[in-house]
Amino acid sequence: MSAGRVAIVGVGYTPFRPITPDVSFREMVYEAAAKAYEDAGIEPQKDLDACVTCQDDFEHGRSIWNEQTPDSLGAVLKPVGTIPGDGIYGLIDAYMQIRSGLRNVVVVETHSKASNMITRNYLLAHAPDPIYNKPLSQHPYYIAGMEMNRFLYETGNTKEQCAMVAVKNRRNALSNPVAAYGQKSAVEDVLGSEMISYPLTELDTSSHADGGIVMVLASEDRARSLAGKPVWIKGVGWCSETPWLESRNWGEAVYAKLAADMAYRIAKINEPREDIDFAEVDDTFSYKELQHLEALGLCQRGMAGRMTSDGVTQRQGELPVNVSGGSLGVGHLVEATGLQKVLEVVLQLRGEAGKRQLDNARVGLAQSWRGIPYASGAVAILSRE
Amino acid sequence: MSAEKVTQLSQTKRMFGELSFGPQDVKLYGQYTYGIAGERFFREIKDNGRIMGTRCQKCQLVYLPPRIYCERCFAELKEWVEVEGKGRVHSYTAVHVDLDGNRLNEPILMAIVEFPGIYGGFVHKLGEIEPRDVRIGLKVEVVLKREEEREGSILDIEYFKPGMFD
Ligand SMILES: [Zn+2]
Repeated sequence: MSAGRVAIVGVGYTPFRPITPDVSFREMVYEAAAKAYEDAGIEPQKDLDACVTCQDDFEHGRSIWNEQTPDSLGAVLKPVGTIPGDGIYGLIDAYMQIRSGLRNVVVVETHSKASNMITRNYLLAHAPDPIYNKPLSQHPYYIAGMEMNRFLYETGNTKEQCAMVAVKNRRNALSNPVAAYGQKSAVEDVLGSEMISYPLTELDTSSHADGGIVMVLASEDRARSLAGKPVWIKGVGWCSETPWLESRNWGEAVYAKLAADMAYRIAKINEPREDIDFAEVDDTFSYKELQHLEALGLCQRGMAGRMTSDGVTQRQGELPVNVSGGSLGVGHLVEATGLQKVLEVVLQLRGEAGKRQLDNARVGLAQSWRGIPYASGAVAILSRE
Repeated sequence: MSAEKVTQLSQTKRMFGELSFGPQDVKLYGQYTYGIAGERFFREIKDNGRIMGTRCQKCQLVYLPPRIYCERCFAELKEWVEVEGKGRVHSYTAVHVDLDGNRLNEPILMAIVEFPGIYGGFVHKLGEIEPRDVRIGLKVEVVLKREEEREGSILDIEYFKPGMFD
């Protein structure tokens, strides 16, 4: 049993679309899985040791939902682990199974069929504490409004700089053929769009998209024997803040900081700004990208806005951020959001990002946030070598 | 991967489902028990008009809302202390849409209210103030419903209003 390295050896995904009325979720997963196995050069029934699948029940309007995926994944009669959380947690689970020597090949699946939920806001309104918060019965984005306000107050970053994030990411999405919300827009468009919950405007928020993402992970020995280009998982981390809205930190994404600290430690990265070439970070809301960049140590606290307005995070900048378009440009994929970020890092590291390919992509970081109303998330660091 | 892609929503076959937790149109019934801490907390508000937290001696933390355990040292908490209902706006927002996405005629002011030396506070509405006058750090005090209207819920607090105190 070796405690060797772990690689992503295959990825498969469907185009991300605002609605997918033509396919069921199973057919979407099947498409992503078939592509992933083709990419990895494996046959699931023969080669797969185990599967991890990540979905939230409520998001799909039915119970014990994530037991539904084995058939569309080629995983019937295989060990399947279900995680009701973001896809990066599934990636980490698979990584640990291989790293511990228990398995050689593990597949991770996650998808979004967000368009199936017709009354989404009501769904999200069930998430805050049912005794202390839910009776106030507001649109749940009020929590993001309060967080954005406090974050800007503490750091000196501005609404305009948040708007620049939204403009950049939707612009980036124009070069991503599978992104749903690519758009050329201006800072004034974002600032002038409908106010949702001050200071958060409609264009500061991501819209949902549907899509499936499947990744095949393998041990080093196995990865070497496959034809594709392995992308190595160098470090992973995850962390949860207190679940109480009343007690948690509103100005700083402490969960992302601690998750990154863990991932950097495992990856032996001492100077993240030096060693990370590009990042795909959570941008469910525009301000979250700034808050997360600071928490990840990719800039000083209070400097993420400045870094954005200086163009550092543009595709041509020194530290490209959300080149894929992020959630603002690709569409928010519910629990598949984190794996979409990993997917972009994999494509960039393999040199397969097409028109948006970065020149110097050696080490990339992907980060996820569980979403409103929580303060938790995960980080994965991937490398070409 | 299907050979023919459907492009019109109306051409698709769909099953509509309902998932409802409301008092009307109920398909699923559920309940949330307040627990030991919540029971005492809401009884104090309802019967005595007092806001009470629990204290961890070791960590020097007062929990609000109260918990019967300390999240830092994991001790069981049995000491209850009164928290004066005068605090400050830690952050706020003006909500402009309802759950159906409709614009509200008047935005609703929501805030996180914190109290000196207290770990936690309230997420609640602000009242008796215009949106343009709200700012982070604003002094606010609790406004309770009249005793006969209180039911033992977070809505026994009507809102927080601007306060005059040191
Ligand atoms: Zn303690």
